[in-house]
Amino acid sequence: MVVAHVRLRDFRSYPALELDLEPGLVLVTGPNGAGKTNLLEAVHVGAQGFSPRTRAEAQLVRFDADAGRVALAGSEGGSRVETEVTIVRGEGKRLRLNGAALASAEELRARLTALVFVPDRLAVVKGGPLVRRAYVDRMLGRLEPVQASLPGEYGRALAQRNEALRRVRAGLSSRDAVEPWTERVVELGAFLDRARAGLVAALAPGFADRAAQLGLEEAELRYEEEPPTREALDARLERDLRRGTTSVGPHLRDVAIAAGPRELRSFGSQGEQRTAVLALVLAEADLQAERRGSPPLLLLDDVLSELDAARRGALAASLPAGAQTIVTATSREAFPADGPEPALVVEVRPGEARRA
Amino acid sequence: MFGPVVDNLVAQLSRLPGVGTRTAQRLAFHLLRVPKEEALALAAAIVEVKERIRPCRECGNLTEEELCVICSDTRRDRSVICVVEQPADLVSVERTHAFRGVYHVLGGALSPLDGVEPSDLRIDALLARVERNGVSEVVLATNPNMTGEATAAFLADRLRDRTRVTRLASGLPVGGDLEYADEVTLGRALAGRREM
Repeated sequence: MVVAHVRLRDFRSYPALELDLEPGLVLVTGPNGAGKTNLLEAVHVGAQGFSPRTRAEAQLVRFDADAGRVALAGSEGGSRVETEVTIVRGEGKRLRLNGAALASAEELRARLTALVFVPDRLAVVKGGPLVRRAYVDRMLGRLEPVQASLPGEYGRALAQRNEALRRVRAGLSSRDAVEPWTERVVELGAFLDRARAGLVAALAPGFADRAAQLGLEEAELRYEEEPPTREALDARLERDLRRGTTSVGPHLRDVAIAAGPRELRSFGSQGEQRTAVLALVLAEADLQAERRGSPPLLLLDDVLSELDAARRGALAASLPAGAQTIVTATSREAFPADGPEPALVVEVRPGEARRA
Repeated sequence: MFGPVVDNLVAQLSRLPGVGTRTAQRLAFHLLRVPKEEALALAAAIVEVKERIRPCRECGNLTEEELCVICSDTRRDRSVICVVEQPADLVSVERTHAFRGVYHVLGGALSPLDGVEPSDLRIDALLARVERNGVSEVVLATNPNMTGEATAAFLADRLRDRTRVTRLASGLPVGGDLEYADEVTLGRALAGRREM
């Protein structure tokens, strides 16, 4: 998506805002705490229907207001789009696309694409396997929409099997009642595992290239296909019954993010971990552009601060051409002088943002 | 808000599926407004179904008699049993006019999360029917969702040695487009492909 206009009402630190943007590189500058991230977050809420920072949506409403609103006008793949997301304290949110009400944020995501880097995203490299699995499954939904429901379906089959195991343990059920759920877990688990392996294989070369551009050599993204089998589940049935959980399957797999022989989770520096997450976002953006024919909106919050000058320059030079990319920085100077000239610089002060 | 009698009616109505408090209120006010006979006719109809309708002894379908209209129809083929979750599903299959056998209504689908065990469904009755009546085929027509598939798998394991077991084909919707099919659907459609 390319955003041409942002309108905010009682969103985070903004009582009211009207701001025109430009395609290409948009640099959002301002001192710490001025509301740069809030502006980026608002654009994400407007384009995707949810915040990348919090699940508690009432937090998005300005502290003394009852409702907050984000409205975006822009274009996607050449056609005009207008979105409006209203969050009413205590009532949830309402979404509109081109004037028509949407039932869920998924509908918005199916139409518009935006990718975000926020410092919290470091957890994708630094955090436990759970975070990486969830991230890969969300990428699956974005890059292969027909597979979007697969992780949820597998999760439901797994929850049923686990409950069946616990009911047998508690004497409420018999062993043969576990059987049909084992079958579901095997079938859907194999689909999910294959889908993840396919996605990772498609992303891996781009990830390595992007990481290398940013100065991280031999970067690797790996997920070997290892579908759960009947035999494996049957062999562990006794143990699963004792524990009341299923001990084999894609819900326990991990995605390796490494540089050469080093797993970056345990053996990467903070800078390398940040580079890896950024490379992953850029690789996904490349793949989306290739598959959808139009690049996603990129929202990069505070990506420059911890990178050294060489990497900052490399990042600036490698921002996808033709896309809109919104980058926050404390000042114009934080953005490399030898990088591309921003199409627009936005200056943020508490409660307001304007074109420089 | 309108006294305990009206409140009670609203509360009872809002227990109906798909009816929220506001709809329940609207229905309650409607009932208060209509002539007495009309409201009493509704009440009587509810009393009547609850008193007269019971499960068919043979298949579990709803009936006023010992046997439902399908089980007592001598033209139906008793050697083929179509297994469905609910009486409403039976109605859907009947509408196709493509099935001439008899039915077996399970009364739900297996779901540990909802506490539904094999013993909560009419599974033993189905096995007994198959033993007793020389059944040549059981068609599993449970819903093609998570719980329906698991129920079908559970039944198939128990019936396979006693009779021929078939499952309703699942796959591409008529008038659909391959490009938009998800892999699970397409995978199943491919597994269930047929000669032409």
